[in-house]
Amino acid sequence: MQVFLQTIVGGVSLGAVYALVALGFSLVYRTMGLVNFAHGNVVTVGAYLASTFYLSTKLPFALAMVIAIALTGAIGLVIERVLRPLENRDFDLMLIGTIGFGIVLDALIIMIWGATGRAVPSPVPSAPLDLFGLRIRTYDLVVLAIAAVATVLLVLFLSRTKRGAAMQAVAMDHEAATAVGIHVGHSNAVAFMIGGGLAALAGGLVGPLLYVSPALGGALGIKGFAAAILGGFGSIPGAIVGGLAIGILDSFTAGHFQGYSELVTFLVFTVIIMVRPTGVFGERTVNRA
Amino acid sequence: MRSRLALIALIAVAAWLLPYGLDSYAIHVVNVILIFAILATGLGLAMGIAGQVNLAQVAFFGVGAYVTAILTTRAGLGFWVSALLAVAATVAIGLVVGTPALRVQSHYLGIVTLGLALAFTNWVTNAEITGGAEGISAIPVPVLPGVDLSSEYLYYYLELIVLALALGFGLFVVRTGLGRRMRAMRDDSLAAGSLGAEVPLLRMTAFLLASVYGGVGGVLYAGLIRYVAPESFGIANMFLLLAMVIIGGRQSLIGCVVGAVSLALVREALVDHPTIAQVAYGTVVVLVVVFAPTGLAGLPARARVLRQRRRGRQGAAPRLGPFTPYEPTAAPPDQATTMLRVAEVTMRFRGLKALDRVSLTVDRGEIRGVVGPNGSGKTTLFNVISGLYRPTGGRVEFRGRDMTGSTPYRLARAGMSRTFQNLRLFGDLTVEENVLVALDRSRTLSSWRYLLGPVGILRRDRELHRQARAVLDRYGLADFAGLPPKSLPYGIQRRVEIARAVAAAPSLLLLDEPAAGLNGEEVRQLSDIVRAIRDSGVTVIVIEHNMGLVMSLCERITVLAGGRVIAEGEPAQVARTPAVIEAYLGDSMSSDDLPSVPEVTR
Amino acid sequence: MTAVSEPTTTTAPELTVEGLSVHYGGVCAVRDLSFSVPAGEAIGVIGANGAGKTSTLKAVMGLVPRRVAALRFGDTDLSRVPARMMVRHGIGYVPEGRHVFAGLSVEKNLMLGAYARKWNAPTRATMAEVYELFPVLGEMRGRLAGALSGGQQQMLAIGRALMSRPRLLLLDEPSMGLSPKLVEDILAVLVRLRAEGLSLLLVEQNAKLTFEATSSCLVVENGEVAMTGTSAQLRHDPQVRRIYLGL
Repeated sequence: MQVFLQTIVGGVSLGAVYALVALGFSLVYRTMGLVNFAHGNVVTVGAYLASTFYLSTKLPFALAMVIAIALTGAIGLVIERVLRPLENRDFDLMLIGTIGFGIVLDALIIMIWGATGRAVPSPVPSAPLDLFGLRIRTYDLVVLAIAAVATVLLVLFLSRTKRGAAMQAVAMDHEAATAVGIHVGHSNAVAFMIGGGLAALAGGLVGPLLYVSPALGGALGIKGFAAAILGGFGSIPGAIVGGLAIGILDSFTAGHFQGYSELVTFLVFTVIIMVRPTGVFGERTVNRA
Repeated sequence: MRSRLALIALIAVAAWLLPYGLDSYAIHVVNVILIFAILATGLGLAMGIAGQVNLAQVAFFGVGAYVTAILTTRAGLGFWVSALLAVAATVAIGLVVGTPALRVQSHYLGIVTLGLALAFTNWVTNAEITGGAEGISAIPVPVLPGVDLSSEYLYYYLELIVLALALGFGLFVVRTGLGRRMRAMRDDSLAAGSLGAEVPLLRMTAFLLASVYGGVGGVLYAGLIRYVAPESFGIANMFLLLAMVIIGGRQSLIGCVVGAVSLALVREALVDHPTIAQVAYGTVVVLVVVFAPTGLAGLPARARVLRQRRRGRQGAAPRLGPFTPYEPTAAPPDQATTMLRVAEVTMRFRGLKALDRVSLTVDRGEIRGVVGPNGSGKTTLFNVISGLYRPTGGRVEFRGRDMTGSTPYRLARAGMSRTFQNLRLFGDLTVEENVLVALDRSRTLSSWRYLLGPVGILRRDRELHRQARAVLDRYGLADFAGLPPKSLPYGIQRRVEIARAVAAAPSLLLLDEPAAGLNGEEVRQLSDIVRAIRDSGVTVIVIEHNMGLVMSLCERITVLAGGRVIAEGEPAQVARTPAVIEAYLGDSMSSDDLPSVPEVTR
Repeated sequence: MTAVSEPTTTTAPELTVEGLSVHYGGVCAVRDLSFSVPAGEAIGVIGANGAGKTSTLKAVMGLVPRRVAALRFGDTDLSRVPARMMVRHGIGYVPEGRHVFAGLSVEKNLMLGAYARKWNAPTRATMAEVYELFPVLGEMRGRLAGALSGGQQQMLAIGRALMSRPRLLLLDEPSMGLSPKLVEDILAVLVRLRAEGLSLLLVEQNAKLTFEATSSCLVVENGEVAMTGTSAQLRHDPQVRRIYLGL
């Protein structure tokens, strides 16, 4: 039982990071119906930016994160602007376009930071807490708290602000949204920008948990996507539940299958998609003739 | 034709002579390029031809290479035996990777296949049998009597022959029935299904083909490098492969090969600056996607269009010919059998009742009209009948058999054919190919003939082309045979869709608003065509808003409103029913001032 | 953002459309159509399905690529105004098939109707007016728009368009898929809006609704005007019935 609980605790903080990655995917999908395949690479960029400002320029961790978020937000804007001619037209081409951006970002990462990775020391160096015999790292709690705050802010933005409402409206019906005066392009750009910001948030937070390397984003991106699908694509609570579930699954497979944990995670994910493509919280869509 | 043969001969000779001008390093590079060309062809078949986003091609490549390596070094089997088993293993993996395609498409399929590719890399890096991160070295040289394959110069010829065979076979598939059905499925899987294309099987076939090419590439790689390690089969190479296919032009296999060769050459030129090369080809992928989605292969066609535009149109413009009626079937069916029986069908969408206990019976040889105001459930009814929707309740019987919830392609093969309200022609196929897809009734399962009886396939294809010409002649569409349907005026597109639906030789034809957007003359022609189709022994059901057409064409009319049948009977009689007048005009005025002679207007 | 918040003049300007054509690919959906909606008038466009009615309305809004010789609203040249700016020139649009924002609440839908305005007290006042016009929307204000019935969604779509305080309302088949009783309700609302001085351009298949709600009508066929006349004249014209019912 103790081991079981410890495994869950171990998975939760990574799960929170997956949830943040999933939120980025979901937000862009919600507004544009597009899966941004470059998202994982943006996460890597975010991780490098945050760790660079934190380690090299000795900025406080929080400030380093904020700068990283601003920069990746800008990357999101660039991606949206370049692919805008394809919006609402050909989604397979847009998908390949985002893969193209992923390829470019991947190369830029290696150019700027080199092919070897770096370890990021935890910004909260206190000893782990002991709670009923469970060891909980303080940094894990920080990650959980930040992820929770980010989620709440995102929900508030979507539900309480004019821009947030407009973004959702664009997702539901871009023609009607245009007719009430919403600039669809701007709305999508904001979605991409927030998606980019969330990527840096996830990347920056994951730095001290994992090793920051060019390969970071690949696995993180796919697991985040798996989390998004598991919860039901485009659903915010779905992204959270999916992220935590994948994190815990990860933690268990790491315990039981060691090196094969990724293999098992992806197989489980494939089976889930086969059984229920719309995820746990997803809606069924109808094919219209 | 002759110039094309000459070009092929020229390329063959050049390829044959190429090694004489290359040093040992260069021939090695060329050998690797050829393997990429084979892989790209396989990816092009799955993605470009069949429209299945496959990001696991590099894993197929890896399975082929690793199985060869394991069987030769660990099990001590001979190279060629191992090679055969390796390709078989790759096909097995390919089919597993392809199964998600039965449930999901596009983005989802992309991420699942990418996930499985990562799972493969994860496995080979960790498993003992694959040698972990070190990989497997000392793979034996493949033995071929009289040829020393340890020489890379001679290995080149082996690869060249395999590539030529692979490309030739790919082109053979693309240009005959199987490839046509796959391309039709890519353009519009709903329409392809309703013409009898077994969409699930075709999707699996796409993955099967991709995995064969991947496996063959892997075997050649193992024989060439004689060492396998995980990094050769990682995401980076997957994306490189994808870039080759996109830049070359995914819808053309030759484009894929050209893309593979040119991108590999560029990469070689920048071999000391791999990251710069990667930035460059990533950027090119983005630019191609936005500005030239057809890639390098699409450039000649674009140039042709530009040239024509500059010169202005020359020669005779293609013209729509008259329709030649069918020979009426000699004896009309003596007993009035029931063609279609819809019993108490209900269809709900998230609480909304689109159809509410709808019943209707259509007899053999009838022309039945289904009319009703917008949103009354007519198209939903067609979608239930043709198998696109599974009804929430009720039964659909077709030719006396219960076909409720059967798949569209089964219904199509049982003799049902339909057109769509918003025209679902296969946009990237020519008019003739659109008709060919409908004419071709060969089963996807019998595609083994592509390996064992290619001559038979070719002969059959020639026969199909002859039939397609006959269909196009009959419908006056011969001038448009080689054109993509999107370039044609609306009225002609409508006629192409009807010709396509009838080419499938149905016993029941469903027409969804065939007159929408047609002018008066075209409506008159349509009316003649539909009557001639019926006289040739086909039962017809027409959804139509043009009441003039319905009145003059149909023997019986069923009126839907709000998802219910509100009237049924002969046209003149139905048009006087107060409920019908109210549903249509919104009033229930007496029918006194209605003219009594039905006629076609518009 | 230059929000045209309130109409400065009481009388609405006139909408003039000259030589409007719409092509989809090689297909001509609307051919050289000309008409005008005089200030405070209600004009109807009727015709069978596929005649080009919806395309006409979308083209006026700028939602589909179009060619037009002149498109003016009072003194404003609308021919170069992008679709999203139309609402800021006082033109409200009720799309065909309702197209409410299904996943948002009724109230959010209405607020988005006022997207081009400031979300302040006058906007709240407009919302109160909409609730007064459609009491059922007030009762359902917290409900998701997608969970409303067809008739309620239609009311919401009209209410959403009214939230921008338009001077001209474009309506695309508001009767589609509704029962005769609900069509009567919609008609009553249109008559009332017209009495309040709003100009209407109504595209409909339901001829009775159109004749009662408008002062004059265009009958379109194959993207061209087949007939024009006052609604009273057209109402008893057997030609209209023939085009319509094919009798």
